[in-house]
Amino acid sequence: MLSNTGNFLLFINIFLSSLTIYSSLKCLKIKNNYIFKNIYQISLLQSTLVLICFFTLTAAFIVSDFSLITVYQNSHSLKPLFYKISGTWGNHEGSLLLWVIILTIFSFLFLILNKNHPKNYRLYTLIIQNLLILGFLLFIIFNSNPFSSIIPIPKEGLGLNPILQDPALAIHPPLLYIGFVGSSIYFSAAMASMISNYSGSLFAQSIKSWVLISWIFQTLGILVGSIWAYYELGWGGFWFWDPVENASLLPWFAMTALLHSLLVLEKRNTLYFWTIILCLMTFTLSVTGTFLVRSGILNSVHTFANDPSRGIYILIFLSLMIFASIYFLFSKYKPTNDLINSNSKETFVLINNWFMMFYLITVLLGTLYPIFTDAISNNKISVGPPFYNSVIIPVVIVFLIFMAIGPQAKWIKNKFSNLRSTLLILGGAIIINFAIVYFLKSYSLISNLILISSLFLIMSSIFDFFKKSRLSFPRIISHLSFGFLILFIGLNHNFSVEKDFNLKLGEAKKIDDYEFALLDLKLSQENNYKAVVGKLEVNNSNTMKRKILYPEIRIYDNPQTLTYEASIQTSFLGDHYLTMSNIDRSEYYNIKFQHKPLMIWIWISVLLLSFGGFLSLFKNAKNN
Amino acid sequence: MRFKILLIIFFLNLNINLHANELVEESKIHKNLRCLVCQGQSIADSNSDFALTLKMVVKDLIDQGKAEEEIYSFLSDKYGDWILYKPKINQGNFLLWGLPYLALIIGGVIIVFLIRKSSKKA
Repeated sequence: MLSNTGNFLLFINIFLSSLTIYSSLKCLKIKNNYIFKNIYQISLLQSTLVLICFFTLTAAFIVSDFSLITVYQNSHSLKPLFYKISGTWGNHEGSLLLWVIILTIFSFLFLILNKNHPKNYRLYTLIIQNLLILGFLLFIIFNSNPFSSIIPIPKEGLGLNPILQDPALAIHPPLLYIGFVGSSIYFSAAMASMISNYSGSLFAQSIKSWVLISWIFQTLGILVGSIWAYYELGWGGFWFWDPVENASLLPWFAMTALLHSLLVLEKRNTLYFWTIILCLMTFTLSVTGTFLVRSGILNSVHTFANDPSRGIYILIFLSLMIFASIYFLFSKYKPTNDLINSNSKETFVLINNWFMMFYLITVLLGTLYPIFTDAISNNKISVGPPFYNSVIIPVVIVFLIFMAIGPQAKWIKNKFSNLRSTLLILGGAIIINFAIVYFLKSYSLISNLILISSLFLIMSSIFDFFKKSRLSFPRIISHLSFGFLILFIGLNHNFSVEKDFNLKLGEAKKIDDYEFALLDLKLSQENNYKAVVGKLEVNNSNTMKRKILYPEIRIYDNPQTLTYEASIQTSFLGDHYLTMSNIDRSEYYNIKFQHKPLMIWIWISVLLLSFGGFLSLFKNAKNN
Repeated sequence: MRFKILLIIFFLNLNINLHANELVEESKIHKNLRCLVCQGQSIADSNSDFALTLKMVVKDLIDQGKAEEEIYSFLSDKYGDWILYKPKINQGNFLLWGLPYLALIIGGVIIVFLIRKSSKKA
């Protein structure tokens, strides 16, 4: 029954999308600045029905209707209700439905919230957005239909991968999708802007809030994913430069560049075509990321579901998008008079874009290069953290310094009267770094420079905070927290302690300042898994602190999977992180212990970073 | 004068620990080796039999007095380049290592070019 309802709603949505395009084209032919009322109505109906369609699938998950293949493959009647619901988007088919929801709702909101912009521009945006919606709806129906039924109806579902049964991972996809898919609306708007010749600062104003929204959610989505990887994958890292993580980072770089170049377009009416390119690039990268992840081309820790036939469809879709983008760019390109003074805010915005493109190219290349070498020379190579660290980190140092100086420059032309204070701040940063080196531990040259430059950015931002008007608060907060982010990552990296050893029950071991003892092992039976819980005592002879940690080895029932749960004790100064795993044919357990200083501050910095985005969104809404 | 003092502090700062890590770091090597039987994990993060064996191999090689680079080339001869997370800088990978910096240079040139063009007009 639910299967039929869902399918019916999908077809209705295809019809409504086509109808929107048809009515918009008809409306374009009439020369006035008035959009047919029925276009609004269709758009509203479309958004409502797509939501109902999604709720139908959620209902199927809640009542465990295993006549749907998707539910059968990804759910289980004994699963907790919360994970039944999150299971709706925890799989390929359901998540595509989420895509379409965001595409549709953003389309509707853009239509009703931009009433003071010209009709043609709004209608073309609507048409292009609906073409995207159609593309995804067709993909859902022909290739990834969440409402496909299965006969005979299975009695029980296969269950959801246990490492996906996690609160952070339940909210991670929706957040990330609002970022990813939200960028579609300015893809459409950019195309519409070229077609209807609506350029300049008014265009910038019409998309600014949308760029901010997608940027905020992208940032939060990445954060939640990272926190999840930190405690669930059990290696104590939070960023692995894994292809799937890279796929979420690529649009983020493009969005960040876009946020900055939009400022120039808005205030100074230059860099129009570059801004358009960034708009188009952001969504294209989002779809590219989806293609790479869903087609299973990449080898990743995050690969949970993939199927090559999907890849071909997304690839065709992607090629069409890129082809259309390039076609319009070439046919509409006019050389513009972009006047840029060497010492002005514009230049610094360009410098931001310059670095963002560098990061983007590096990460894109690192992600795709193994695929190419494999195809061309049959030589499989790996590109992992050591590559990214050695290419990117040195550049970050320069970037942070520009990031500190840039905001002080004025529009059009700037006087460098603030050289003295800049030097003073730099001196301060160096002295603090010196103190850290002196009192704690010395570290490599690069680490010194990273710490100095991030401290420089932090202090410059704080300085700004007391000097500037309230209007630049959002920017100061974001820049400040980015400085903190790099600082805490740097400190965390340099002062992390890592111990890897084997222990058996009742045994104790002393390594450097630490003494470890495996006091107890307990079996426990939970709702959907069995677990071996260890009780470990960690003594630090230096600080005289004693910690008890309880790592687990879990055996999940449906599907049968073995996972290692880290035991983490978080404090403001640092995390104690411990995992325990069994060693085959032995009574010993392998223990990995880490002390990770200031861990929680890394998360807080990112939270603050996106909070800066919220403030900016607020400010923007108030101004317009 | 003040500037000079800053410079001196700056270089003092950098010189402190330039030659600390002469010992071959075992854990650093582990992090650069892919666990071939896992999904995108390094052997440092894995407890599979493969990872455990490889860790022993690495320890043996270090005990034999092999340098970090020698260990990598030994392992990549045996298992292929797939095992190294940091690709070698060689003919096949020059694009990977070179293009980012090339892009950085080109970007810089474009910005300088834009500014020059503008200053002529103004």
